[in-house]
Amino acid sequence: MARSIFWISTVLCLAFLALPLLLVLPLAFNTSSFLTYPMEGFTFAWFGEVFGQPSWTKAIWNSVKVAAGAMALAVLIGGLAATGVTLTGRVLQMVLSALFVSPVVVPSIVVAVAFAYAFGRAGLSGSYASLVLAHAILGAPLVFLSVLTSLRGLDPDLDRAAASMGASRLHRFRHVTLPLAAPGFLAGALFAFITSFDEVVVALFLAAPESTTLPIALFSGLRDRLQPTIVVVALLLSLVSLLFLLAMGQMQKRGAAASRN
Amino acid sequence: MLTSQKAHGGRLAAFLLLVLPLAVYILVYLVPLGGIVSLSVDNRGLSDRFPALRAAFAQGGAGTADGRAAALLQDLAGLDAKARGETARMLNQEISGFRSLLLDTGRDAATIAPTMAALVAFDPRWGDPTYWEVIERNIPALSLRNFQKVTGLKTGPDGGLTIAQGDDIYLRIMLRTLVIALQVTLLTLLIGYPLAYAIANGSRRLGTFILMVVLLSFWTSILVRTTAWVVLLQTNGLLNNLLLWLGVVSEPLQLIFNRFGTLVAMTHVLLPFAVIPMMNVMRTIPAAQNQASRSLGAGGVETFLRVYFPQSLRGVVVGGGTVFILALGFYVTPALVGGPGDQMLSYYIADFVRKTLNWGMASALSVLLLGGVLGLLAIYGSARWVMTRRKEGV
Repeated sequence: MARSIFWISTVLCLAFLALPLLLVLPLAFNTSSFLTYPMEGFTFAWFGEVFGQPSWTKAIWNSVKVAAGAMALAVLIGGLAATGVTLTGRVLQMVLSALFVSPVVVPSIVVAVAFAYAFGRAGLSGSYASLVLAHAILGAPLVFLSVLTSLRGLDPDLDRAAASMGASRLHRFRHVTLPLAAPGFLAGALFAFITSFDEVVVALFLAAPESTTLPIALFSGLRDRLQPTIVVVALLLSLVSLLFLLAMGQMQKRGAAASRN
Repeated sequence: MLTSQKAHGGRLAAFLLLVLPLAVYILVYLVPLGGIVSLSVDNRGLSDRFPALRAAFAQGGAGTADGRAAALLQDLAGLDAKARGETARMLNQEISGFRSLLLDTGRDAATIAPTMAALVAFDPRWGDPTYWEVIERNIPALSLRNFQKVTGLKTGPDGGLTIAQGDDIYLRIMLRTLVIALQVTLLTLLIGYPLAYAIANGSRRLGTFILMVVLLSFWTSILVRTTAWVVLLQTNGLLNNLLLWLGVVSEPLQLIFNRFGTLVAMTHVLLPFAVIPMMNVMRTIPAAQNQASRSLGAGGVETFLRVYFPQSLRGVVVGGGTVFILALGFYVTPALVGGPGDQMLSYYIADFVRKTLNWGMASALSVLLLGGVLGLLAIYGSARWVMTRRKEGV
């Protein structure tokens, strides 16, 4: 009996988790404009419509620009912060780590209101810069954690060995520590990119019509009218997530292989 | 000598590395957050309109009656019609009737002699100390006005706190937010537990497969997953068509824009946050314990209930806590699949900013939400601290 309980509950719960996207995303290829089964035929027409509409293509381009900028800034501040805290004492390290990680726990609506007011007063509202800055703050904790984890996993003997051979602190950092911690930086960069690329709430408060990102366009599309182009955009966003997950998997595999050698 | 130089170099390097991140965090993150905290108690919109009265009240003993009357008239005369209207509207929220009193007095402020007797002669209501108390309470530069409005609490004439009928709308919204978050937490734990169990105890292939699905779901944007539910639940959507086709119902059910849709979609979106911590804890439970229990004669169900489940509770608490805290601040999903009666605190915060530009109220609600989340985290952190101490046997 225990086995049947195990299988039935597992299958039902897995279905709840997986079926919604598995059922809905194929409708992006449906000839009918009604979002339901049975599918009438297979078409790429809705993709053509998305890529032909300036409102969607502009949003896609904006999202890529914002995510790339936010990623670069998040890697810079998150990476510097993680490297810096490893050199501080225990108490200071705890306090600083709590600060650097804290944007993760603040509800997004709260940071959104805070950013909207502060950037509005600074004359940045609606600008590309405001979105990049805000998303960098949301991505920095992930870079911080990822870099910190990889720095802590390093063998301290390697640094000591380099020091014993007379390498300066800076030289050791550049030629020993940094290359070894590179996977942490890379993983953090991916986290920061996808966080910005998928972010809705903060962007909703900061984006002007010209700087609208893809999730915002999707959000307003959903409130406006349900049509297959919306499912196409949802599919595109899922593909980006899938690519991200594959990249992370590749990196983990390579990391495991490297540590075995 | 060498070691102190080294330590000194380390401190300098740490300082150089941390300057930029700290500067960015302070300027772009802490200052904006502090900004909404101060906005929530900022009363300058009202207090800046009464400079003379503020000075009069600050003199101690609230000044003389004539002094107050003169200050009030001076301040009112300094306001243009628009500012007078706004001020009257704000004070009218405290006592109804203040609007007409202030507008009338303001219009004729230049013609009234600056004494209390003349003011009372103009309108006898100025002889009533209640109105003066309302003014005194509302003109400091810092005030808890927004928090009073949020909680519906009012200071009565005797100084005690009361909640007026119908003023508890935000209290009810907070309660609704807590209830929805709790319901979603229970649902995610219920559905997430078997999944975490299967990952930790199923065959290797099954475990890897389920973990992949969980991670894929975790990294798929909340908006995309909410979109899927909008498509599934709409009146002529997939689920309704299926139910009609199966003959379960004769006409489409209302599945979206109500509590059902909100709970289902939020549970789905937050499920991975419950599964991952539970899975991590379950992986540490040795399989040998189950075998030992079975070999001592306990059945499968009894083994699960008495040996396995109590040990997995730590993961349930972590997963449930994470989901609950995240659910408290949810905005996107309820906004898209909920009805007017299912919106959570975040929706009203957004509403104050986007519709009425009432930053004070938006900030006050934000501060309450943030305070709630930080409070829960503090409780959680100290509980963990106590648990680890007990485990270490200190």
